[in-house]
Amino acid sequence: MKPLALLLAVLLAAPMTLLPLTARAADDVKIALVVPLSGRWARQGQLKKMGAEMAIAEINAQGGIKALGGAKLVLREADAGDSVEKAVSAAQRALTREKISAGIGAWLSSFTLGVTEVAERLEVPWFTLSYADSITERGFKYTFQTSPVSSVQAEQALDLVVDLAKRNNQPIRKAAIVGDNTAATVFFFKPLREKLLKAKGIEIVVDEVWTPPLADATAIVQKLRGTQPDIVFYGATNFPDSIQVLQKVKEFGVKVPIQGVGAWLVTPEYVKTVGKELLDNIMSVVAAHPLKGQEELVKRFTERTGEPFMTQDPLMAYAHVWIIKEAAEMAKSADPRAIRDAVAKLDLRTGPAATTLAPGRIKYDERGRRIGAAPIIVQWQNGEPFTVVPAEYATRKPNWHGAK
Amino acid sequence: MRRLLPMALVVLLGVAVAFALGERYHHRIFTLVLVWATMGLAWNIISGYAGQTSFGHQAFFGIGAYVTVLLVVTARLSPWLGMLVGALAAVLAAVLIGLPTFRLAGIYFALATLAYPLIFRIVMDYLGYQEVSIPMVRDRPAAFMQFGDPRVYDLLALAALAGTLLLSDWIEGSRLGYALRALRANEQAAEAAGVDTFRAKMLAYMLSAAPAAVIGAIYAHAILFVVTPEAVFGVLVIVQTLVVCLVGGIGSKWGPLIGAVIMVPLSETLDATVGDRLPGIQGVVYGAALVVVTLFAPEGIYWRLHALRRRRPVGERAPAMAKPHAVAAPPGRASAAPGGTLLEVAGVSRAFLGLHALDDVSFTVRTGEVLGVIGPNGAGKTTLFNVLNGFLGPDAGDVRYRGESIVGLRPSAVCRRGIGRTFQVVRTFPQLTVLDNVMVGAFAHERATAAARERALAALETVGLTSRADDVPSGLTTLDLRLMELARCLASVPELILLDEPLAGLSRDGVETMAALVRRLRESGVTVVIIEHTMYAVVPLVDRLVVLDHGRRIAEGAPNDVVRDPTVIEAYLGKRWLRHADGLRA
Amino acid sequence: MAAADLAQYVVTGLLVGGVYALMSIGLALIFGVMRVVNFAQGDFMMLGMYVTYFLALAGVDPLLGALVVIPPFFLLGVLVHRTLLVHVTGGGDAQRLMDAQLILTLGLSLIVTNGATMLLTPMPRGIRTAYATHAFAVGGLLLNQARSYAFAMALVLAAGVYVFLTRTDLGKALRAAADDPEAAAYQGIDVRAMHGLAFGVGIALVAAAGGLLATYHPIEPTVAVNFIVLMFVAVVLGGLGSIPGAFAGGLLIGLVQSLTLLVLPFQLQNVGVFVTFLLVLYLRPQGLFGRRLRAV
Repeated sequence: MKPLALLLAVLLAAPMTLLPLTARAADDVKIALVVPLSGRWARQGQLKKMGAEMAIAEINAQGGIKALGGAKLVLREADAGDSVEKAVSAAQRALTREKISAGIGAWLSSFTLGVTEVAERLEVPWFTLSYADSITERGFKYTFQTSPVSSVQAEQALDLVVDLAKRNNQPIRKAAIVGDNTAATVFFFKPLREKLLKAKGIEIVVDEVWTPPLADATAIVQKLRGTQPDIVFYGATNFPDSIQVLQKVKEFGVKVPIQGVGAWLVTPEYVKTVGKELLDNIMSVVAAHPLKGQEELVKRFTERTGEPFMTQDPLMAYAHVWIIKEAAEMAKSADPRAIRDAVAKLDLRTGPAATTLAPGRIKYDERGRRIGAAPIIVQWQNGEPFTVVPAEYATRKPNWHGAK
Repeated sequence: MRRLLPMALVVLLGVAVAFALGERYHHRIFTLVLVWATMGLAWNIISGYAGQTSFGHQAFFGIGAYVTVLLVVTARLSPWLGMLVGALAAVLAAVLIGLPTFRLAGIYFALATLAYPLIFRIVMDYLGYQEVSIPMVRDRPAAFMQFGDPRVYDLLALAALAGTLLLSDWIEGSRLGYALRALRANEQAAEAAGVDTFRAKMLAYMLSAAPAAVIGAIYAHAILFVVTPEAVFGVLVIVQTLVVCLVGGIGSKWGPLIGAVIMVPLSETLDATVGDRLPGIQGVVYGAALVVVTLFAPEGIYWRLHALRRRRPVGERAPAMAKPHAVAAPPGRASAAPGGTLLEVAGVSRAFLGLHALDDVSFTVRTGEVLGVIGPNGAGKTTLFNVLNGFLGPDAGDVRYRGESIVGLRPSAVCRRGIGRTFQVVRTFPQLTVLDNVMVGAFAHERATAAARERALAALETVGLTSRADDVPSGLTTLDLRLMELARCLASVPELILLDEPLAGLSRDGVETMAALVRRLRESGVTVVIIEHTMYAVVPLVDRLVVLDHGRRIAEGAPNDVVRDPTVIEAYLGKRWLRHADGLRA
Repeated sequence: MAAADLAQYVVTGLLVGGVYALMSIGLALIFGVMRVVNFAQGDFMMLGMYVTYFLALAGVDPLLGALVVIPPFFLLGVLVHRTLLVHVTGGGDAQRLMDAQLILTLGLSLIVTNGATMLLTPMPRGIRTAYATHAFAVGGLLLNQARSYAFAMALVLAAGVYVFLTRTDLGKALRAAADDPEAAAYQGIDVRAMHGLAFGVGIALVAAAGGLLATYHPIEPTVAVNFIVLMFVAVVLGGLGSIPGAFAGGLLIGLVQSLTLLVLPFQLQNVGVFVTFLLVLYLRPQGLFGRRLRAV
């Protein structure tokens, strides 16, 4: 047995020495981007990477971080893959193999929950677009949640939608809830179902929630046809599921206003897969979308990447890099703790960091939630999603479904 | 103590590595190695030792994780306690899953077990536990398994690994281990040798569920920080477990450890080097590594190495000589009076698809006699044995042993009551040595391994196979195989032995050896029932004969009477007997 | 519930089940002949979807594309068998072989999924067909056109395989090799070649299923995860290795998924499928259409 134990010893020790610790480049300020780059959510990770890379290119072209003698920003990607284990490993790897000033990620809220734990322990400020309330309910000092949290989104989005319907003289009396039971959707639907709709006197006529993957949408669409709700709150984060529902809606000729909950519904692949006719007038609540006056930004992005338009994922990553830049300027340091303290004090109202996201202000509260973060409503019009609500940021006027 | 040494070395080495590593990320990889090695070892208990491949072991991993974390979140119960609750819940789940599922074997068992974690996953989502994050406890972190020092997680996982290694080691050397390896090789032979295969499998399942739950809880705290149905009940969990075990080699406690030590760092190294630069490539390379391992070491790395360093002892080996010794007296069992009724077969019928294999068969076996059951092929002889030892239930009739009905008992229970049997085609446990084969039988009445070994050695001596004790059955002659099977049967201390064509395929010398052995057995007080379809060999050996034809008993009595019985000659023996008589003269 | 509604549920379930059925018969053939549990089956389906997609970009209707993929994927299957699977099939300890096959096909699956992610990008794609969003109206019932076409072609392909297996000499040789490889070898049947044939046909069938699926389902490198479990369930429901059984098993899954909605919350839809699966295994382990009892 002894040779076996020896063999085990060698095998145990050998791979540990193989992992290279990248040499520390001197002056660069390094930002970790931990997002899925392989597996099921790789597309979203790629979109975030595009946004972050664009911000970094812009900042470096403008002379880097001036307070640090023009230090360049560098992006360090780590692939969060398709499991919490891999996502947390990626964060651990990114944060320990070299000095990282701040991190961004990890797209899926369960990934973010795990990844922020690592950042908290290593004291590196972490920026996320994930919606889950729980991310900033743990008393973490290093987590900054830029999106409005799910519960806020649900409440404010409902106000916006009800208001919009009223202004189009088609008040909402019957609502449908249709979607999957992934975390993002569930946390949006829960307050709607439990109190918000009732408070507005809206009756829930259809409440159908499935576990992805969806086998077939016929039963759901039959119910929609049978009840004719004034609005359908729709949350199908799994792309094939969503496509099935939309195809079925068309097949059954159901005419109902669809109000998506999340940015998953405004990606370019929808146009290619179901066509713009089917998408037109569909709205979605998102945390970020190009606003009025950002046409130049969007143009730079589309030219750079070949994507037809810009959406929440690249936009948020873009903003996050700019916020980190401003914090580093303020802290006059690349030290993650100093940057964290700067972020906590930051109150920006100008520059790309502040103006990329509505309402044009970057300030985080003591929990790490962005003050004033509010949902906006995007609508598909002629094969492209435009911000339509609130009016001050809108790039198009909303078409209430079927309204003249 | 010698056998504990390698495990102690592994643990010491683990401690050394935990203190030698500096990088947090390296600690994380090390913890992952230990986690997946432990999970692999847990899986190995039911799927390696017992051979019941499970695709659903993540059910217990997930139960451990969810129960522990939900207790932290809802009741502020320390995970140190919650982990135990989780382990208990997992053991309970194993019983509930095992009860219906052990009726299935092979791929059916594997796929049935897969359904459970899939269901659990959907139900957890349905209940609203999409993502349960572990709250960070700042005032008493240690009480909530939260440590800033990554070495603590290493040591925690190492403790779980050490515990599971010890458990595996204990199983390997215990009565349960022999039972599992026997049933893995041949479930029916194991039953006939006194192994309650259902109980053994269930025990193994429970013992493998508990460490899976414990390591699931540790995984949640040390690795995930947030529990999601997919992260703990998902297919990736069982995939990782299978990879670790199958690459390392299953059926040994070292296999999963070797597999984890190679595959986990490989996967992480790929993620860290090429994966971040060219996402997806790590999966391709990892997949290719799996393919390469299968092609070069399909049985797993451990067994590959094992085969390389195994030197078969060569040298003089005397041919097996039957030197019958007295059979060890049955312990604590009142011996039946010679000549009285030991076994009573009363009106037994059994049909297959309307065909009467046994039709109202009645006869008795008297204590101390050698009874021959003869009849042509298809007369129902083996079916009769299968009914007598419990493989088959009779459609009608009763079998009474020592005055008590044994109908409905499992074969293993029948064996422990004192009825042993051999098979027409010898059923061995091929991966076990001859001694281990016989020990399986010895465990019918012994709990301790040492005592079972003694008993098995005595049985081997009785049949004259002592010199073959350390060989594997594949190298044995037909006679040796039959002797080994008889020794396995004798080791279970039977009062009544059912021999199914023990002389088939033996040379004349072999027949002599076997016949002498049967006589010695009778002299030592064991009752014997022999099935044969060739009469010439058994007539001189038996006290009485029962003749079966087409499932019916057509005669019973002293050999000479039966041979002269005109009904038997007319109805059954006529030509056949003449032919055998000719054969004898030739 | 009105009878018409119930009828719609049944029809919908059967239409959904049609593609499960076609996906599953390839797996059933491979298992039946080679006793190989192929975890990479779904990934070959994914490749079939992509090939059909690129053909559609070149103007080939996906219904035709689904047929066009058959010959190349047959060759691909034969090639994979020649280079890889021969090493883990044939003689030897059945348990050990199964373990080796598991790891081999798992590795293959990882290579194909991740390779596709790298080469084809993770971006979801789709073929926009008119029939994906139109239905045939039959006596008040709506039959989705894409699913109806897929169902019909699944039926034709399955029947073709069945006729091939039962009526042709080659098919009979294949079955002989499946039933008793040793006896078949004694009769001069090249069992290894039969395995290659079965694997090739099995892969071609699942690629065709992918092509049909692509007429209405988006295409991603990871699309297989949505179906692979159901494919195994269908094969077991029908009786491992039975072609008509796997077909019926696929239909049954669609039906159970659809009818479960009448008694369970939507979220628990697949619990209905898995419970049915367990009940069938426990009560009739040879499957609904299995010929032999393989379990204890």
